[in-house]
Amino acid sequence: MENLLGVSPKDNMLHGPTKLLLDAYHWHQPDFGIVASYTPKPRDVEDHFGVFRGVDQIEAFAQATIVSCGSFNECKKHHCTPLALKEKFIPAFISIGNVSFHHYVAEGETFISIGIIKFYKFRQMVCDGRIYKVAKGVDLDAYFRDFDQDRIAAYDLSKDFTLVAELYDITGRALKKDIFEKAEG
Amino acid sequence: MERQEIIDGLVEILGTVRTIDPEKLKNVTEETDFIADLNTPSTELINIAAKAEQKFGVEFEDEDIDDLGSTVKDIVDLILVAKERA
Repeated sequence: MENLLGVSPKDNMLHGPTKLLLDAYHWHQPDFGIVASYTPKPRDVEDHFGVFRGVDQIEAFAQATIVSCGSFNECKKHHCTPLALKEKFIPAFISIGNVSFHHYVAEGETFISIGIIKFYKFRQMVCDGRIYKVAKGVDLDAYFRDFDQDRIAAYDLSKDFTLVAELYDITGRALKKDIFEKAEG
Repeated sequence: MERQEIIDGLVEILGTVRTIDPEKLKNVTEETDFIADLNTPSTELINIAAKAEQKFGVEFEDEDIDDLGSTVKDIVDLILVAKERA
């Protein structure tokens, strides 16, 4: 498998269904970055004015970028499945840099996370990127089919995409589970 | 490579970390703790390890970093082990 295109996020992610904020991958280059989408469900906006929370945007971005790309790379390195990774590691936020919100996302509105990898070593990944709301009817797979690194890095998007958030230094690491087991012991 | 030579190289690396007070780098010893004494953010420890790989021409395994303590001695020991391993 060369990249995550065609893979269902639920098969790559360790999150359970109610915490998975990721529907599909649309562009992925393992050493560079990724584009993935999510459409908030009724449960995601419940008790929150009908809009998707800012902290959930950050979580969705992290799942789409550092967790997805990190899991893919580790599976490749260890020649194993995400399920096998789950036995040994837990994905964890390490830090979040600056985040600026420009717009909101309501229930049923699809958004994409574009993540660009700045650092990846020792199972720690740092991504910068943006979240864009997508106009209704855009076929994201077709739209990103011919994209390359330069266009992704330049956020070279049409007017069908509305900037929602800019995110910097989103950092996560796959921590060995035995760290938690030692702490509990 | 002498331990003091490695410490001097580490101090040069630490000097590039903007969150570390340069004043605190004047008296770095093997007992200095990156977190307790230098207030180094945990996210920076990985960057410091990556820079140390380059500076000292060694390669660390993921597991080396998992098990790494937070003192200068810990990383000096790791650099020497990695050099021997190479």
